[in-house]
Amino acid sequence: MSALTDPRGAVEELTRPEGWVLGVSVAFLLFLFVALLTGALGPTYFLFLVGLAGMYALLSFGLNSQWGFAGLINFSVAAFFGVGAYGAALFTASGSPLAELFEGVPLIPSLLGLPVVGLVVGLAVAFVLAILIGIPTLRLRADYLAIASLGLAEVVRLIVLNERWLTNGSAGVRGIPGFFAGWPVLGTFPEAMPGLRLEVIPGSPVLLETAFWRASLNVLLVLAFAGGVYFVLRRAHRSPWGRVLRTIRSDEDLARALGKDTYSFKMQSFVLGSLVMALAGVFYTHLNLYVGPGDLDPITTFYAWVAVILGGSGSNRGALFGGIVIVTIREGTRFLNDVALPIDPAPLRLLLIGVVIIAVMRYRPQGVLPPQRELIWPSAVDGGGAPESPDSGVRERKGGGGDE
Amino acid sequence: MSEGALAKQDPVLAVDDLQKSFGGLAATDHATFGVERGTITGLIGPNGAGKSTLFNLISGFYEPDGGTVEVNGTDVTGMEPYEVAEHGLIRTFQTPRKLEGMTVREAMLVGPREQPGESFHRLFTSPGTVAESESANLAEAERILAEFEIDHLATQPATDISGGQMKLVELARAMLAEPEVLLLDEPVAGVNPTLAKKLKSQIRRLNEQGTTFLLIEHDMEFVMDLADPIVVLDQGHVLTEGTPEGVRNDDRVIDAYLGGGA
Repeated sequence: MSALTDPRGAVEELTRPEGWVLGVSVAFLLFLFVALLTGALGPTYFLFLVGLAGMYALLSFGLNSQWGFAGLINFSVAAFFGVGAYGAALFTASGSPLAELFEGVPLIPSLLGLPVVGLVVGLAVAFVLAILIGIPTLRLRADYLAIASLGLAEVVRLIVLNERWLTNGSAGVRGIPGFFAGWPVLGTFPEAMPGLRLEVIPGSPVLLETAFWRASLNVLLVLAFAGGVYFVLRRAHRSPWGRVLRTIRSDEDLARALGKDTYSFKMQSFVLGSLVMALAGVFYTHLNLYVGPGDLDPITTFYAWVAVILGGSGSNRGALFGGIVIVTIREGTRFLNDVALPIDPAPLRLLLIGVVIIAVMRYRPQGVLPPQRELIWPSAVDGGGAPESPDSGVRERKGGGGDE
Repeated sequence: MSEGALAKQDPVLAVDDLQKSFGGLAATDHATFGVERGTITGLIGPNGAGKSTLFNLISGFYEPDGGTVEVNGTDVTGMEPYEVAEHGLIRTFQTPRKLEGMTVREAMLVGPREQPGESFHRLFTSPGTVAESESANLAEAERILAEFEIDHLATQPATDISGGQMKLVELARAMLAEPEVLLLDEPVAGVNPTLAKKLKSQIRRLNEQGTTFLLIEHDMEFVMDLADPIVVLDQGHVLTEGTPEGVRNDDRVIDAYLGGGA
């Protein structure tokens, strides 16, 4: 049932938590809208936050396809994120050490500075790294991967920090172009757009200038990335492939007894998730235009974990929701500075995340938007095959309707 | 060791001189026996005789220290469980395995082997084939659930059904993998008598349709009624093999069960 043709029916089909999430989201959007119109929230900064939310959503998607699908405990989200970010940064930045390194080498210097090459390199390095760490650990019990990945995250961070000839060390990489730099139309789009001046409330005008258009291009990019990833993961999740992963998550021995090559499936899930995390890193590079070793701190890993657990392990839309909540808490608390509080609000951020995760675990351990109860390739269920109507037993449980 | 063990006409499973020790304990001690195609072969023995270890060795979950396992004439010794399954040997577990977050029919759909939708890239390159096989598998799953008279459970959460029903679902799911020989580890342990009777008739029916069974069972009445021949295991080796009648009257078997003969 489409939400477009029958909005009332679509709303009525939602389960209570879904309705709750929808209500809060609508209220939140209205709030943001008002803040934008009154000039309390700068539009360019707002778009930067949307980009950041998209990046966290990507990280959560990646972790969800490892932990949520197959039960793989990966504590090196930050490492795969960092590999993507540094891969993209080193291949595109004007001050990149690679320019010196490859001087005189044929072909490679001409590839430097192209964001698409940076994207491919970032993903390729993450791919290799995921396979290298997966080979020794995925045959073993789940906890070995957890320990190895914890170590990997630190190794990658320390390499980035110390190998100055390659990564510029603690100074980080600057001079990174936007992702669309050099593209035919989009490359010059921000400069070509006229500056706009909106004055909704007299005295506090809203200015839309080059920086705003540049930021909107970033939003476009992250929407494309996250949308594409969401499409791929959604299809994978409800396929027989995803079903084997969920079997492995519940009981790996059962999957093995039924003839499934669980090592291969776990490797696929691990590599897929790592690529998505690296994609988040590539986007971050072109959003922030600077990367440093601090971006590889373990906190990024734990934000991604909080987002996935909060949203509901195994649920793609839950990961999306969790990612947005994380950014709201992380950046929203900055505005608390404007409100007179008896204490310094900055440390509240971590406290608030802690409180949220405890509250979710206590009252809704499956997460806010847990996965649907039944995941069968859609056309197989709709196209008959089931003697009794599939709607009777499934719909009220799955509750997602046509929009997942 | 009985010499006749290997002299089967058409063994679908042949275990030869299989050995496995854990530390100093020989859990499987030069075990040799065969399973004739088309039979329901029972595997009995006192607690600690090594029945479950033998199952784990045959199905590839343990690596044997010595000896060979052949399925359909192919040597599968030391292969991974999924490779053994590919050769037509499927097993179930003593305690029913729960699949959290799945409905019964969804848990059933894990059974079919080599589904096109299990290949990641084909989800995107040939979604039509995936959908076709998924529809066919779903129809087959519903059909088997109906045969087992548990089709009313199809859309129930797989974790919310009774232990006996789980055993039925396990058996039904194993059938979706189209095994040539199915190893059942205590199919009626903890199952109420009505369901046990149902399981018995299902196993008999599936056997008549061509599936070979090898089953471990402690319920003597159940196994004596269902299986023929019966292999008796004691302290890791095969004590004897014979008809239910012969085994029941064998003094060595009685000794083993009563803890005598030491």
